[in-house]
Amino acid sequence: MNIPNQPLNQKILKYVITVLIVVGSIWSASGLEITPDRIFSAPGKIWILISAMFPLDLSQEAIDRIVPKVAESLFIAWAGTVIGAIFSFPVSFLAANNVSLNSLSRLTKQVLNIIRAFPELILAFVLLPITGLGPLTGTLAVGIHSIGTLGKLSSEVIEGIDEGPLESIKSSGGSKLNELFFGVVPQVMPTITSYWLYRFEINLRASAVLGVVGAGGVGAELINQLRFRDFPRAGTVLVVTILMVLIVDTISASIRRRIIKGREIKV
Amino acid sequence: MTDTLFDPKWEWAFENASQALLETIQIAILASILGCFIALPLSFYASKATNQTTTTYIIYKSFLNFIRTIPDLFWAMLFTVAVGLGPFAGVLALVMFSMAIMGKLLSETIDSIDLGPLEAAKASGAKHNQAVFTSALPQILPNFTAYFLYIFELCIRASVILGLVGAGGVGRIIETQRIFLRFDRISPIIVLILLAVIAIEQFSVWLRRKIL
Repeated sequence: MNIPNQPLNQKILKYVITVLIVVGSIWSASGLEITPDRIFSAPGKIWILISAMFPLDLSQEAIDRIVPKVAESLFIAWAGTVIGAIFSFPVSFLAANNVSLNSLSRLTKQVLNIIRAFPELILAFVLLPITGLGPLTGTLAVGIHSIGTLGKLSSEVIEGIDEGPLESIKSSGGSKLNELFFGVVPQVMPTITSYWLYRFEINLRASAVLGVVGAGGVGAELINQLRFRDFPRAGTVLVVTILMVLIVDTISASIRRRIIKGREIKV
Repeated sequence: MTDTLFDPKWEWAFENASQALLETIQIAILASILGCFIALPLSFYASKATNQTTTTYIIYKSFLNFIRTIPDLFWAMLFTVAVGLGPFAGVLALVMFSMAIMGKLLSETIDSIDLGPLEAAKASGAKHNQAVFTSALPQILPNFTAYFLYIFELCIRASVILGLVGAGGVGRIIETQRIFLRFDRISPIIVLILLAVIAIEQFSVWLRRKIL
């Protein structure tokens, strides 16, 4: 039996990619002073840290300090997502090239790209001298970053719509605005809503770490406990955060599934 | 205080931040490669299509879910305490980060592969591992490449901020200058980061179009 040979250019591409990956990782590892003995001693050191955290510090005082901080992270994430959703929704219409002017869409997309290039923490950094320490800075940072990401995702949803309904609205005498309201919005709303929820899950993780720079949330608590070598309490912070994220993820995922797939029909 | 933010000291930034920026990129490259290639076999175990054993499926799936709940900077904090300050902790943190994302994306892709080739390989006498290797792996390789590039971009963004907790990279310089409230030195660094991130992202978009 004859098996056809792989085309030559594919073969070359395969080797080029392999070489790129190997050379890239060696170059990086050498630049970062990563030696084999550091790698092999790492698991033991990590195990020491984990065992230092147990038993967890579950005293009333610790719980009273940590739970409000975790809740603050949740509030920052929710408020930030709402800001992102409200502002990104109209912007995404401007950025979608099938409902907007060509030049305007290109410009909006570039602006969204620039917003997205700032990580939330760097944004929080820039905002710190303006809005001061506290959750307001974190909320704004999360919100602005969400505008960038949600704007991009939503505009891609709008670009992928079925043009049929738009045409029928136009042919029955509807204006351009009617087309948007009755043709585009009903088509994109389920997907965009599920993206908002998805963004909320991501923002939750982002807001948890914002405390590191003093922008509110549970991050400050964790870094302080680790600095003071109070490992049981740091463990409590971690466990409470993980629980909160898991619960929110589960709820949000089930809502998203319900939005996209509809009610499950049992036969 | 905000006035100094708009009075950037460019020369200082070029002199002091370029080395750290390179370190940031190296952390991202190494961590995304390691994380993605560790996640590749794991995600076969975390998918119902290629792993029929319910107990191991649940173990791998919940392991991937668990590491996904901890934010990247929390990993960095934990690893700086465990293995000491420096880029090594940053690499470990981002390995966990990229492993979690790749595990989730890839295992969900494997869930939806075409089971026909797998069955055909098994019918012609292949063991389970052989069947997975010859008929499931080629189906998901294009997705793997796309996800890899996407995760590389995420890692670049994430590695910028690792230095804030002492895990190496350009964030370290931002952190020290922030303590001294030298916003005139921070603003050019932020612009440099922005340019580097956008350039790498464009490169990755170009590469994705070229490969796929």
